[in-house]
Amino acid sequence: MATGLLLGTTVVLGALDFAAAAGASTKAPPSTPVTTTSSPGAHRLPGQKNPYNAFNSGMVNSSILIFNKAGQLIQYGSRSVQYYLPSDALIPQGEALYQTNCSGCHGVNADGVPPKGTPGGYPTLLGLGPATYDFWIESGRMPAANPRSTQAVRRVAKLNHQQALAVSAYLNSLSPATPYIPIVNPQGADLSNGAALFALNCAACHTITGDGDALAYNSFAPSLRHISATQVAEALRTGPANMPVFTGNLTDAQLRDVVAYVTHKIQHPQNPGGFGLGGLGPVGEGFVGLALGVGLLAVVAFWVGDRS
Amino acid sequence: MSEGHESRTPVTLSTATWDDPHLQPKSQRPEHTERVILLLFFLGFVGFVGFGVAYWQNWKPWTLGATLGFGMFCIGVGLAAWGKYLMPQGPFVEERHDLASSPEEVDAFSNALIERGGGQVKRRKVLGGMLAAGLGVFGVVAAFPLIRSMGPLPGNSLDVTNWKAGAYLVDRQGRRLRADEFAVGTVVSSVFPEGFQDNEVAQTSDVVIVIRAASAPFGTGSRSSWTPQGYVAYSKMCTHLGCPVGLYERQQNLLVCPCHQSMFDVGDQATPIFGPAPRPLPQLPLYVDAEGYLRAQSGFDQPTGPGFWERTT
Amino acid sequence: MSAARTKPTTARQSKAALGPYGRTGKAIAELDDRLGIAKGGRTFFDKVFPDHWSFMLGEIALYSFIVLLATGVFLTLYYVPSTGITIYHGGYKPLQGQPVSEAFNSTVNLSFAVRGGLLMRQMHHWACDIFVGAIVVHMARVFFTGAFRKPRELNWTIGILMLILAILEGFIGYSLPDDLISGTGIRIAYGITLSVPLVGSYLASFLFGGPFPGNAVIPRFYTIHVLLVPAILVALVTAHMVLLVRQKHTQFRGEGRTENNVVGTPMFPIFMAKTTGFLFMIAGGIALLGTFFQINPVWQFGQYVPYNISYAVQPDWYMGWLDGALRIMPSWEFAGAGHTIPFEVFLPAAVFPGLIFGICLAWPAIERWYTKDQMPHNLLDRPRDRPKRTAAGAAMLGLLGMLFIASATDVLANFFHVSLNNVLVLMRVLVAVSPFVAYFLTYRICLELQHLPQGGKRKVANIVSLTEDGEYVASPAPPPPGLHHELEAEPVPRYIEVEDQGSSSHTSVEGEGERPPAGSVRTVPR
Repeated sequence: MATGLLLGTTVVLGALDFAAAAGASTKAPPSTPVTTTSSPGAHRLPGQKNPYNAFNSGMVNSSILIFNKAGQLIQYGSRSVQYYLPSDALIPQGEALYQTNCSGCHGVNADGVPPKGTPGGYPTLLGLGPATYDFWIESGRMPAANPRSTQAVRRVAKLNHQQALAVSAYLNSLSPATPYIPIVNPQGADLSNGAALFALNCAACHTITGDGDALAYNSFAPSLRHISATQVAEALRTGPANMPVFTGNLTDAQLRDVVAYVTHKIQHPQNPGGFGLGGLGPVGEGFVGLALGVGLLAVVAFWVGDRS
Repeated sequence: MSEGHESRTPVTLSTATWDDPHLQPKSQRPEHTERVILLLFFLGFVGFVGFGVAYWQNWKPWTLGATLGFGMFCIGVGLAAWGKYLMPQGPFVEERHDLASSPEEVDAFSNALIERGGGQVKRRKVLGGMLAAGLGVFGVVAAFPLIRSMGPLPGNSLDVTNWKAGAYLVDRQGRRLRADEFAVGTVVSSVFPEGFQDNEVAQTSDVVIVIRAASAPFGTGSRSSWTPQGYVAYSKMCTHLGCPVGLYERQQNLLVCPCHQSMFDVGDQATPIFGPAPRPLPQLPLYVDAEGYLRAQSGFDQPTGPGFWERTT
Repeated sequence: MSAARTKPTTARQSKAALGPYGRTGKAIAELDDRLGIAKGGRTFFDKVFPDHWSFMLGEIALYSFIVLLATGVFLTLYYVPSTGITIYHGGYKPLQGQPVSEAFNSTVNLSFAVRGGLLMRQMHHWACDIFVGAIVVHMARVFFTGAFRKPRELNWTIGILMLILAILEGFIGYSLPDDLISGTGIRIAYGITLSVPLVGSYLASFLFGGPFPGNAVIPRFYTIHVLLVPAILVALVTAHMVLLVRQKHTQFRGEGRTENNVVGTPMFPIFMAKTTGFLFMIAGGIALLGTFFQINPVWQFGQYVPYNISYAVQPDWYMGWLDGALRIMPSWEFAGAGHTIPFEVFLPAAVFPGLIFGICLAWPAIERWYTKDQMPHNLLDRPRDRPKRTAAGAAMLGLLGMLFIASATDVLANFFHVSLNNVLVLMRVLVAVSPFVAYFLTYRICLELQHLPQGGKRKVANIVSLTEDGEYVASPAPPPPGLHHELEAEPVPRYIEVEDQGSSSHTSVEGEGERPPAGSVRTVPR
């Protein structure tokens, strides 16, 4: 009987979320359009107001759904990835941290600062899901070192893990949404599938060796050498900044494979041939070949030959 | 070098002994130099033996190159040092002889070539002409198998793709794409017409990139009917040189080609706004069928990929 | 010696009749009976080769070419030139079970499963980078010293042809593993072929055996890379060397050096020892590079498929100037009258390199026309003495250098964390401006250098002494020993006395001057 109730709740909630996902999230209050300081000539499109439009992809494939007594979904996922909601107990701490560190740009109510107020507005944080908040905070991008720059860069995080969860819990409480914070289970990960997925989806921006590169108009695809497994999963499910979001085109098992590939092979590349030269490819090889190769050999010639 | 040095008639040595200063080593301390070179040769010897051991004992791969390289380098330094410091220091001089032959010899050669040889043809012009004609034809037709047999005529292979009206959009595994699966901001990187996802030629000319750029149709004029529910499909082959344009910048709504950084505006028919690409990426008109699958309304309205002479648009 | 040769010998008599050079001498005599090599061989041994270090830059190219040939033979034993699909079952986990081409599979297996395979691959690739680099450096030396002038224009032409072939060979070679990055290069080459007006689509279809990608390009590249171009290169290198030996090497001006002689060291054994030592040093250096610096790790890139792409995909360095030209070119495509001419591809990738190589090939003629100088030259110029030529060369290097940098726009933008678009616009400006700036600056520097006292040579130390009047007087110190040749250059001795001679007879050539007393040291008056 309890099982039937649980199953029924799952189905209903799943259907609801389906509907929510198909259109833009109805939980988020209407937000003002966000401007970026870049992309001249590119057209804003209807429905593209919120650049951090989160999506509840995990629910669609989820075989595990856990609710608390109040009927709130606190965890979902599958064997490969579990998504969890930070505890409600953290909300007061999160509110305090938010008001201190974030409200100056993102507003006291976390609904952003419109572009009329300052040159370039600061985006609303409502309805983005805990994974989004956790990613930006734990990668050190927020609080932003230079709020005016086009893209916040990864730094040493100002808030620690527990504080990040607290802020995530608080912000989510204002406007509950998914995705929740992912924990990847690396067991059974298929590195070969991960490599194929990486080549298909990630290499075009992050390079095939994961070293990152410059994108258009002052944006950058960062290096993947120093990112944790959780943050890889969060980035994939939330699509931060200019990164596309991976929803129906990446199952949890595939997510696990990609995360395993990044944390194993990208971050610990097999370089049996010697120094990896930063994975820069022919640019680095050219420098070494010309400077060390031809240059040093010319010096040797200088020794062997005459000088007059 | 000293200035105002009076020139001395070079003395031709017919026979020299090893005491001659020109045959003396350059080194001021030849015994010491000899010991150094001996050490270098010994290190080379050790290096090569080490290489042999590393190979037969299957040591770590880097030891192979390290021993071989070290050995060769030491031998090289030793040998060059022997030549430079221990062998006769010289300097020696050699006279250059006139490169050119004497005028008489040039005349004789020209005479043989032009009068004796060319004169034959001059006196039997018809023979020469026919031979030249034959050889000329040979030169031309010899190129035929070399060039033409190498490949088929291009035909319309550059003009058409396998996209037809009603074609299902599938990913690399052949799975049909559904419109309700992807949120705004999702990119399906490589999409093919159903049935052609394993064909390499199709993978080149047919591949599209599908972006859910919005939640509702967008585009000017008739193009707004090509983007159901905000899905847009552009040919993934860059119109510059054919690299796959796999780099989508979500916030800026730009497709950037990683090869030479052409930038295409996704919201405006993939018009190039920066970089060397000359033409927009051809757009594939989409629709969502009754079962919710993404399908093509028709093929492209122009050839995909880089430009070529026969391209009319 | 001649008496011993023509006398018929029996086993008992032969030992006594061996002469002063023993069995080796007998062997030489037997060889000469059949081939007549002694006279030419002696001439060859006596050839004097000038010693300046900058003349050895071409040897770097030559010896790295030898390393390429040797390592290349090894590679051909393992590489499979086929695009046929197979499943990877080797040691590199991220490729396990993936469909790959035979070419890619054999390359990865060579790198992981063959003992010494990765070393040979990496030596081969590093040797190629060094080969082309050394050719360019050597070519610059020849250009800036005017060694391409009469009678050496043909050698210059052969050299430029070898440069073109070396670049082509390198591109084809690194495309053989069929990995993601080099496959993208082949795709770009296909697009460039397409862009040729009138015949582009036919050329592309013929070269690739059909539409892209096809199965023909990898096997054809293999044949070109392993058979055709190496054969042509070997022939050209041989011609290059033959001409060099025939015309003799040029030399810088200096003490005792004229247009009609060569001062240096004789070929055998001194020059051969030094150059063979150099060969081993180059081979050893390439081996050490191939051991400690990884190059082209194709297993990290994966198999090429036409729908995948990586970012930061520059070609190998010697193709960088073309890639840079493609990046900065504005999108000027002509479309009209039912046809399209993609000038944004055709100009930078076909017309521009044709222009550059054309200028290089035509330069001796250009200079002959401009200077109206038809005389043969065996003495080299100092670059400063020909400011216009030097400045023109600097302008060319400046242009090409900027194009090389332009091929790395994205890497530079990422490294300096600036906007990619701005970097590209900046590179357009720099490429346009740098030849003129380089020309102007180099010209002025040459003129300044020309007016340096003592020709800019190293200053001589002064010895300062105090005179009795309390005056300080400076006088030049004698140059340190061994720095300059104190001896005057002399021809190679005809004979060196064979040591420990009992009954041997050797003839001295009569009437050719005096023989110095044993043990005397000759000095040069200052």
